[in-house]
Amino acid sequence: MTIKYTIPTNNDLLPMYQMNFTGLYKRFNTTTMIRNLSIGILLFCFFNTGFAQDSVLLKKWSFNTAYLMPAGKWESGIFQPFRYGITNKMEIRANALLFPLLPNVGLKFSRGKINEYTLASEHILSYPTLFLNIVSREDIGGLISPEFDFPFIFSISNSLLISREITPSILATGQAAFVFALRGEKPDPQATIDLPLFYPRMAHYYEGTSVRLGAAVKGRLSAKWLYEEGVQVFIITRPENNFFFENTGTLMWAVGKSLRIRGGYVLAYGKYPYVTPKWQLWPTLDFVFGSK
Amino acid sequence: MKRSYLKKAIIALCIPLLFMIVSSCEPLATGFDDVEDAIMYEKTEKAKTPDPDSTIRVMTWNIRFGIGRQPWFGDACGDNTVFKKEEVMPGLEAVVARIKEVKPDILFLQECDVKSNRTAYIDELQYILDNTYFNYAAYVSEWKSEFIPSDGLGRMDMGLVILSPWPITDAKRINLATREDQAGIVNYFYLHSCIVSGRIKIPGFKEIPLLNIHASAFATDDTKKKHFEEFKAEMDKLQAAGEYFIAGGDLNELPPGSDSTDFCYEDMCPGESFHQSGDDPQHKDGSNYTPEAEWLRPIYETYKCAFPLSDYQQNQQAYFTHTTRPEHAWDRTLDYLFTNHRWRAGSAKTHQEFFNESDHAAVSAEFVLIKE
Repeated sequence: MTIKYTIPTNNDLLPMYQMNFTGLYKRFNTTTMIRNLSIGILLFCFFNTGFAQDSVLLKKWSFNTAYLMPAGKWESGIFQPFRYGITNKMEIRANALLFPLLPNVGLKFSRGKINEYTLASEHILSYPTLFLNIVSREDIGGLISPEFDFPFIFSISNSLLISREITPSILATGQAAFVFALRGEKPDPQATIDLPLFYPRMAHYYEGTSVRLGAAVKGRLSAKWLYEEGVQVFIITRPENNFFFENTGTLMWAVGKSLRIRGGYVLAYGKYPYVTPKWQLWPTLDFVFGSK
Repeated sequence: MKRSYLKKAIIALCIPLLFMIVSSCEPLATGFDDVEDAIMYEKTEKAKTPDPDSTIRVMTWNIRFGIGRQPWFGDACGDNTVFKKEEVMPGLEAVVARIKEVKPDILFLQECDVKSNRTAYIDELQYILDNTYFNYAAYVSEWKSEFIPSDGLGRMDMGLVILSPWPITDAKRINLATREDQAGIVNYFYLHSCIVSGRIKIPGFKEIPLLNIHASAFATDDTKKKHFEEFKAEMDKLQAAGEYFIAGGDLNELPPGSDSTDFCYEDMCPGESFHQSGDDPQHKDGSNYTPEAEWLRPIYETYKCAFPLSDYQQNQQAYFTHTTRPEHAWDRTLDYLFTNHRWRAGSAKTHQEFFNESDHAAVSAEFVLIKE
């Protein structure tokens, strides 16, 4: 047996979870770092001294909650999808930046309230084949080798969102999604984009389905500053490379009545085809604008 | 009271976040320091180490990342970028078989992939170590990128290796000059030539410093000349320190006095045209050695090549180690072994029978050991 030892690098961190679908066996291996982060997030949120009422929070930032855009109102970011309230119980969305390459559309429905919990469901259809065949090319921009062609693939996502007001200025949301693909045939398993953020979101195009579980806390720091802290888990129903975790932290500045600037980070963990479980940190930035 | 709690909460959040930022930030393409530590491999169950009496066999081999002679888009007019595991493993097995056939005591490898997308994420070095008699390896990356957004290359980690049955100490990666004929963005994602150095100590004999180089193949400026100067400088340092070294690798250069120096036609792919009026470029990158004819002479004049220049010039074909196309015979010499001590006379071999295992033939020779 051969072992390898390396000069320690910054990426030598312990895996947090391992999943084996054959036996549905789950083994936790939580690091002190993750525990501290969770405690830190909870402390931060619990002791937040926000001042405004929830309606202001929701007016500025209802994306990723069980609340819908009010009827006739819209908002869009460069990366955040365009959202339009058709009625007070139905919202339509599409990612405008991606649409020319990756046609997509979604509907979100209000499912009413149960006690203090607000419920909604979201259903998104996208067609990634066009995008995959475009980036499967020679030279710069070839994210996938040009020897691969992609069949028709429809990706369908169904999710349930549930939000609850924790305090007048803090909103917690939980989300569960089931994402699957209808495809002509399975694409080649080597025709993947093996990058954090991309890989877990595209995994179901190739094999299995994706179960996504998330939780997020939104709150107000002041009249113009809001924050969100969230976690999301991707579970792909296949034997390998089947577990991914993301932690996102965002600050939003409500510049004006319709313009908001969001920035933060995504900390991603996953087991990619090159085996070694990996953490990766990426910055995020978006400009969101919409109806006043 | 609430403000102090808020402060503590923010600090509690920031400290683990800061730790994660420091730990998790990895750029898309890896940059290298001038000198940095190599990555070390070691077998847990060691094979018996050889007990040489006076010489050891040293071999250098560019193994073309284990794909044998299969066409690849980057160097053999192919269309493929990535290979399946079942396409790589036969090539890797054939490389291992040849290594066991020659049984070198020290092995220099170039173009060894470690979990690259193009070779199905196989750790080729791990495979070679597991399936040969070597106990130790020192690996340095020359092309390392989290993700190359071009031609579907994706994740890349390709490098140089020194393999030995004896422990390798003080193993380093020595960065070589960066190409200046590439656009910045291309250079960011492309390979960075280097040397892997190390030392071995055979019981009863003096310690031997080792240098394994892979010089630039396609530079159209004088980058390759700088690589030879840097390579020679490393050898000069060891010479000045009174040490006897073994140096070698894929220099991507012809010996001085070579009869053929322009291989544009031999390397031309369908649809390409060179040497004609109006052609741009006039020469294929990496195929015209004419302006570089004397670049290796300073090394030849100072140190001893395993096959002396006089031997080469009398029968150049016998020492050819490379051809780009599998339907052509070996047509040029690019691979070398040098020392400032001695090779056993007549021991140098150019393994031209390794035709299907790589687009490079291995070169081996017996180095005369120096008693303590």
